[in-house]
Amino acid sequence: DDFLEVAPRGSLDENVLSSEAGIEGALLGAYSQLGGRGNYFSGASNWANGSIQGGEANKGTNDGDFTEINELVRYQLQSTSRIPSDRWIGIFDGITRANSALKLLSLSDDVQLTEADRARIEGEARFLRGHYYFQLKISYNQAPFLTPELSVEEQQMVVSSEDIWDEIEADFRFGYENLPETLAEAGRANKWAAGAYLGKTLLYQEKWGEARTVLNDVVTNGKTTNGQSYGLLDNYADAFNAEFDNSKESVFAVQAAANSGTTNVANPDMVLNFPHNNGPGNCCGFFQPSFDLANSFRTSDGLPLLDNSYNSEENRLVTDFGVAANDAFTPDDGPVDPRLDHSVGRRGIPYLGFGPHPGVAYVRDQPYGGPYTPKKFVYYADQEGSLSDGTSWTKGYGSMNYNIIRFADVLLMLAEAEIESDNLDAGRDLINQVRERAALSSSMIMNDDGTPAANYEIANYDSFADKAEALSALYMERKLELSGEGHRFFDLVRWGVAKSELDRIIANEQMFLPIAYSGASFTTPQDLYYPIPQGQIDLQGSDVLPQNPGY
Amino acid sequence: QTNLSGTLLDTDGFPLPGATILAKGTSAGTVADLDGNYSLTIPEGISEIVVSYTGYETQTIAIDGRTTIDIVLSEGVSLDEIVVTGYSVKSKRQTTGAVSTVSTAQLAAVPSGNVEQQLQGRAPGVTVITNGQPGTSSIIRIRGFGSFGGNSPLYVVDGVPVDNIEFLNPDDIEATSILKDAASASIYGSRAASGVVVIQTKRGKKTAQPLKVSYNGLVGFTDPGNGPDFLTPQQDADKAWEALRNDGLSPGDDGWGHPQYGDGATPVLPDYIMVGNQAGVSGSIDLEAQRELYNIDARAGDLYQVMAANKEGTDWYDAITRTGILQRHTLGFSGSTESSRYYVGMGAQVQEGILLNNDFKRYSLRINTEFDLGKYVRVGENFQITHRQTNGLLGESGGSGVSDDENSILGAFRMNPIIPVYDEFGGYAGTRALGFNNPRNPVAERDGVADNRGFSNRLFGNVYVEIEPIQDLIFRSSFGGGFIGFHSNFYSRQTYENSENNGSFGYGENQGYFNDWTWTNTAKYKKSFGSNNFDILVGYEAIEAGNGRVSGASGINPFSRDINFINLSTVSANPPFSSYSVPVKFASVFTQLNYNWNDKYYLTATLRRDESSRFGANQRTGTFPAFSAAWRVTAEPFMANQNFFTDLKIRGGYGEMGNSNNVNANNRFSLFAQSLGASSYPIDGSNNAVDIGFFQSRIGSENARWETSVTSNIGFDATILGGKVDVIADLWRKETNDLLVQLPLPAVNGSAAAPVTNIGSMLNQGLDMAITYRDKFSSDFGFEVTLNGALLKNEITKFTDDVDFFDATGSRITGTIVRNEVGRSLSSFFGYKVVGLFQDDAEIANAPTQPDAAPGRFRFEDNNSRNEDGELTGVPDGIIDEADRTFLGSAVPDFTGGLNLKLTYKNFDLETFLYASVGNEIYNNSKWFTDFYGTFKGASVSSRVLDSWTPENTDTDVPIYETASNFSTSQQSTSYYVEDGSYLRMQYLTLGYTLDNSAFNGAFNNLRLAVSATNLFTITGYDGLDPAVGGSADTDFGVDVGNYPTTRGFNFNISLDF
Repeated sequence: DDFLEVAPRGSLDENVLSSEAGIEGALLGAYSQLGGRGNYFSGASNWANGSIQGGEANKGTNDGDFTEINELVRYQLQSTSRIPSDRWIGIFDGITRANSALKLLSLSDDVQLTEADRARIEGEARFLRGHYYFQLKISYNQAPFLTPELSVEEQQMVVSSEDIWDEIEADFRFGYENLPETLAEAGRANKWAAGAYLGKTLLYQEKWGEARTVLNDVVTNGKTTNGQSYGLLDNYADAFNAEFDNSKESVFAVQAAANSGTTNVANPDMVLNFPHNNGPGNCCGFFQPSFDLANSFRTSDGLPLLDNSYNSEENRLVTDFGVAANDAFTPDDGPVDPRLDHSVGRRGIPYLGFGPHPGVAYVRDQPYGGPYTPKKFVYYADQEGSLSDGTSWTKGYGSMNYNIIRFADVLLMLAEAEIESDNLDAGRDLINQVRERAALSSSMIMNDDGTPAANYEIANYDSFADKAEALSALYMERKLELSGEGHRFFDLVRWGVAKSELDRIIANEQMFLPIAYSGASFTTPQDLYYPIPQGQIDLQGSDVLPQNPGY
Repeated sequence: QTNLSGTLLDTDGFPLPGATILAKGTSAGTVADLDGNYSLTIPEGISEIVVSYTGYETQTIAIDGRTTIDIVLSEGVSLDEIVVTGYSVKSKRQTTGAVSTVSTAQLAAVPSGNVEQQLQGRAPGVTVITNGQPGTSSIIRIRGFGSFGGNSPLYVVDGVPVDNIEFLNPDDIEATSILKDAASASIYGSRAASGVVVIQTKRGKKTAQPLKVSYNGLVGFTDPGNGPDFLTPQQDADKAWEALRNDGLSPGDDGWGHPQYGDGATPVLPDYIMVGNQAGVSGSIDLEAQRELYNIDARAGDLYQVMAANKEGTDWYDAITRTGILQRHTLGFSGSTESSRYYVGMGAQVQEGILLNNDFKRYSLRINTEFDLGKYVRVGENFQITHRQTNGLLGESGGSGVSDDENSILGAFRMNPIIPVYDEFGGYAGTRALGFNNPRNPVAERDGVADNRGFSNRLFGNVYVEIEPIQDLIFRSSFGGGFIGFHSNFYSRQTYENSENNGSFGYGENQGYFNDWTWTNTAKYKKSFGSNNFDILVGYEAIEAGNGRVSGASGINPFSRDINFINLSTVSANPPFSSYSVPVKFASVFTQLNYNWNDKYYLTATLRRDESSRFGANQRTGTFPAFSAAWRVTAEPFMANQNFFTDLKIRGGYGEMGNSNNVNANNRFSLFAQSLGASSYPIDGSNNAVDIGFFQSRIGSENARWETSVTSNIGFDATILGGKVDVIADLWRKETNDLLVQLPLPAVNGSAAAPVTNIGSMLNQGLDMAITYRDKFSSDFGFEVTLNGALLKNEITKFTDDVDFFDATGSRITGTIVRNEVGRSLSSFFGYKVVGLFQDDAEIANAPTQPDAAPGRFRFEDNNSRNEDGELTGVPDGIIDEADRTFLGSAVPDFTGGLNLKLTYKNFDLETFLYASVGNEIYNNSKWFTDFYGTFKGASVSSRVLDSWTPENTDTDVPIYETASNFSTSQQSTSYYVEDGSYLRMQYLTLGYTLDNSAFNGAFNNLRLAVSATNLFTITGYDGLDPAVGGSADTDFGVDVGNYPTTRGFNFNISLDF
């Protein structure tokens, strides 16, 4: 019988892993799922789920390419659609990994593990689980909450619930109360990352007072895992530059590395989002900023047009839409927020060291996707090959961290909590803090001759007439500051303005891009949340996984 | 009464075991034994014997008072009837199970790279799913599809089990038998549930023979044929303008126009599609000035190319294909002395595929010897060494996945024909010119693999000893196995000609080894008491299979791109990968009893007990019995006076077989793995290095146990019309129970591999039949026709307790295209059924609500809906949604068969073989790329769209030509992609001439010259390149994305003996 006992090789069982090093390895495995590892829709960047669905960008490329994303542009998801399924699967992979680490920790009697180690490991694992459940909650509004001790069969029996904010909150609160402030490795979640995420969780539940308390603590006392007090970088663009990873502005980020042997840690979820046709990245022309987003950066007396008149014929940006590559074009010369040219690639403006943006030559199908190309998460020309990864089918893999929470976001979340608590001035100061950084000359894109590339004009808010105006300014500031970073759709849904705002944007985009937005319409309630994937319901039953309304 | 004995040999001196010797006009008869010896008691008053053997001329011989008659039978028409079955050699006469044989001549006739491919159509009930690529692996299934995977047949070469036979040279094969039912195959128990292909290689003869040297040579070529039709450049431009209008645009609108064809009311083909950064340039340019700017090396600065427009249109299929040259040479040496026998075969096959830089090479050496050590002991060995290369092979799983791969063949379908192959200064042209989307230049792609090399060296064989202490008792011990070592290296270009380019130059190497061994010990005893003949076999077998390691590494950007400089040390290399393969072990005991009474009643019983390391200690053992019986009706007295049946035997069998192939060796264990790809993370914030963590890679189960297939078989073998017609027919049923299924775990269980456990079941039923008719019109004009066919019905009868189906997805089409569902066959195509095209808005208004409905787009069938609990009701609800998806066809053919016709006239022989596959569908996934303007706008479009819908052209199946790609156009899986895949193909036609041995003053014997054509014609309604569409998995084959076609070839063959 010994002959027939063949031991596995190259892998380990639970007992071997229940050592300190093993548990640390399992925890690392849970971190490694943050970027989705090639699953475009479960990575934390939420470029499709948050930004495309939020009207900040369309799919780009052309209609036939990756048609599943058309369903996000047009709000046509079905229960059998791929994107909700991919996202569900990828996120649960993260949850399973976090729970694995927690289970190994509970099984371990390794004497090397001090109480402090145990608290830290549990804090990090629960932070990660909180993050994954937060993503499920905002996308699906419900999920079965799994705990580490459940067997495979028991996991399948846990009934999905809409009431999982408490569990998410508890996970972040544990981290906030137990994690150290600083750690040797910059990529780990610390006390303040957990605090910021806790504040965000409270904000999503409209617990303004509690959110204010926690976020205020983060803003006042918070520091990065590598020990820098939180703050804004002088140059807005540096928040999107691999050379400034884990800066004082980075509260919690998906760590990325290029040329490490796997592109799975090189922002694989964002690899499609580069200009087409021999632009940087060489692929694929996805994620083209919308007309609405670009026009939002129009300013008047340095302030954005809060009445949405930026899309009007007199205010909207001049573009090279319909202008051939060989024909002359002069960029818009009206006043714009300097963040426009960090957020939107447009013809004639210097593009990250690759020279002036050539317009249609960077665009796969301009009548379909419009004139703009993505810019925020594209590497600089002089970083190609060092901070980008050319070892795979496209050279768009990069080493720029994606900040799940950026300090500017924390400031704006606190501003929101203040305004909702009727502290309009405190809210205004926080918004102005974000705008002041954007106004620094270091935040301007310059031509080779040292002149600003466009007519940049930005000013502070002097006062808000009332809470409504303050909120309106806040909503706009989040759009301008955080565009393309995956937040918008979820913000619109929680603010209760998703339908009105997205109907307005669809109508605007349809004027220019009739095919991309053909049949687009936002329907409540179903388009507020993804359908529960039919394939999962088929496996677990609709009594365990009830479908969301409208599907 | 007199006793008559002697030996029965063929013209080559081979014994003819199983040949029948009958006292004429009586039922008294016997069969020759393994060495051709026979003895028979002749009843009083009988003066003649009738000697017959299937495939040989029946002789009537006068006894003339002799007591010893040695008989030589000459072949009627070649039909190899030695049946090499489990651990023994039998005659067809005596078999009670369902066995097919394939002759070596048939195997060698089709010059493919793998012997497996040559089985296609040769034996009823054997399904070969393959493609035209030399050296490809294939899916071989015997009697349907018993499982969701891992149901390849077991191959047994000279008694040694092996999982593929790609290393064999067909010319070395002496006999091939296919054991199809439990009664014949179950003696191989542990891995035989999917049938067994038993192969015996050549050996020297038992009787002393001088050295015989034979040569068999074949040279030929394969023609790639023509690719499908695409729009010419002018047609493409015109259709682009039609699409703009259909999109609702007019000249002058923002979106009107094309980067190449201008923005006028009519399109204009440019003279240059790219001049530096300009597209669509008309008029002449100063080429010499442009040459100064030319740059195709991104390291030297900005790229600069000049590409002329090829207004005639580039034939991209022609550009990536070539006429492939084929050569195969085999030299065989055989002979024997009183106490030794040997065969040495040396073979070489060098074959070019029809695709550029797609080559197959196989060099083999086989040495089989046997020595008698005194009177009681024999020792012997069979040994082969094979060096095998497949370069530029497309497709996963050794090439069998080529059909559903986005490969260079699909690339050739996608490149707009206005793009030339090369730019003006010798570099590649491509989609870097604006407006043609993102296909990659497939010629560049093929050229890019020219220096890639991969080879394997395989040692395979066994040594054995046979001890015969007393007459008819043989102990045999055989130790055999194989060792395969392989290495490959590959280069990847830094491309410049495409719209999406590879950013760096890459290089990599892979290497590894695997080994298997099998130790088999048997004892055989044979005894006769009067008319009762027994033989009994008992045995013990131990196997270890699949023990090996693989490692490799890759890197980028060497200092120099000279391939003689590049190795893993001269590139900036990634961390290497390395992995183990966990071996599987088996321990088995088995016994078989054969009994026959007077060659009239036969009974075979087999019992086998297997243990496999794949299963936990409690589930490890499986016991599998099988029984079969046969009745030679013609041996009954009441048949004595009829002339219709020369021989009639009715057979029946029942048995169980165990299968564990679909079970990973680690199935029992819950495991965590460390993986760069799956669990690494730069936790310290590094921009270029990662730490590697752990993740749960596998959920284990101790509950898996043997999957059992229960087969029953009833059939008959008949020889009628005085030996002119042989009929073999089998009606069979194979039910697989406790089917090992990988649990479909929901996402909440994470991504760890689920264990397989015994849940599902599958039913296969069929009828196999072969009819051979042979006759002579005159003494030198004979013919033989063999028709074989098989009907198959495959049905999944259970998946899991809770779930009835599982899906497979296609290339770029949204969602499920294949659904494997209870009540259906494997690999059934799934999607919306197109009932026509919407003709106008009124029709849309009256039709069920369908997303994106518009005139000229597909109208789908409303056939179902879901109730409040999400269950399907079967009732249409006026809304087209996912509930309306339905079954659109199946990749499993209802009927497969072959017709072999052979005519001999004097020294000429003419032979042809036709193969038919009927009743299967093909999912033509490539249409998604080629039939819609919107899917990859600017890429090449099939000329089918010339018949696209317009308000004027309404009587068509081809939808409106437009940019949109959505639910009602190309995005969903629909019946538009499903086509009838039936076909009839003349697989070969050969004309041969055998010279008289006296020619050339007797310098040669058996000198035969032949010319042949392979795949001369194919009759099919399928629109793709070739209807032989394979796949790499049982659960989703028959999907054609870029299938490698089987095309016409012409060969010249010479064979002779010295």
